[in-house]
Amino acid sequence: MGRIVGGIGLSHVPSVGPVVDRKRENDPAWKPLFDAYVPVRDWLGQLKPDVAIVVYNDHVADFSFDKYPTFALGVAERYAIADEGFGTRPLPEVQGDAELSDHLCESLIADEFDLTVCQELGVEHGFLVPMNLCFPHTAAGWPVKSVPLQVNVVQHPLPTALRCLKLGKALRKAVESYAGDLKVVVLGTGGMSHQLQGRRFGFMNERFDQWFLDQLESDPEGLAQISHRRIMEEAGAEAVELIMWLTMRGALSPKAKRVHRHYYAPMTTGMGLITFED
Amino acid sequence: MCSALCSPAEREAFKRDEEAFMERFSLSEHEKQLVRSRDFKGLIEAGTNIYALLKIGSATGNSLYRMGAQMRGESYEEFLRTRNISGAV
Repeated sequence: MGRIVGGIGLSHVPSVGPVVDRKRENDPAWKPLFDAYVPVRDWLGQLKPDVAIVVYNDHVADFSFDKYPTFALGVAERYAIADEGFGTRPLPEVQGDAELSDHLCESLIADEFDLTVCQELGVEHGFLVPMNLCFPHTAAGWPVKSVPLQVNVVQHPLPTALRCLKLGKALRKAVESYAGDLKVVVLGTGGMSHQLQGRRFGFMNERFDQWFLDQLESDPEGLAQISHRRIMEEAGAEAVELIMWLTMRGALSPKAKRVHRHYYAPMTTGMGLITFED
Repeated sequence: MCSALCSPAEREAFKRDEEAFMERFSLSEHEKQLVRSRDFKGLIEAGTNIYALLKIGSATGNSLYRMGAQMRGESYEEFLRTRNISGAV
């Protein structure tokens, strides 16, 4: 059967992309972030997951506001690198797991999560930066297969934090009912505090971010009661992406233990990292 | 219009003839004026989504932080001085 062996909550800050592409990971301003992923990569090397389910949001690259799904799941064998307005990053195509995706679709829709099913999907920084940080690629490709799960955190009305937690629980049920012998990690991406528009551009709130990390570990059910408004007021409008971390947390069992935790906020986004082993 | 800017050919078309490009997407005169004057604060206030705005930024050579500085009413240099580690760009 399928097994969820770990969960990772992490920010998907776009400026990480060019740092990776230009091999600037050791620049003094970036080293603290990349150093935090050294033990995470070692840990993942021991866990040896077969598939990463990446819960992320598109930033108007492959999806447009003409039609915007609340939840969308990739079911393809491979995913193209999308051009989000800055050119296509020099990265290998992402390898999917269509068989697992098909099963996830059936199970999640039977569980009343009415997904948009994507036979074709281009992935961008929301998906790729977490992959860069956790699963560095080589010329031969990425070390794991991936399944993209896109959540609308951009075009209101958004799904609630509680709905995202419930999606995670349904995702666990779906993975565990998969016939194949497969180890899965779930990545919940986005956030933490940031505001990218208006007078409050650049607003961050480390106190909120640390509180969110505490609650995610100790009381996810309580945390899932948080409103979009509270997140946006206390941590900035774009911090609402954090609801996607609850999908990752919901996919873990009550016995899951936190392994790593890190926080770095150099410019305009609180870059958080938390991992759980299940 | 912003979604179209996710293609290199369309970014070139925008750079070649901005007016024709905006006309193609039926922008209002007010919207066109905001784009012409690179008024990113005004574009946000007119309802442009920030991630859509980033594509106009890219096509006009304005990074997120440059647009953000303008929204704050600061110069780029002033904005950088407010950051914890301004080298992380």
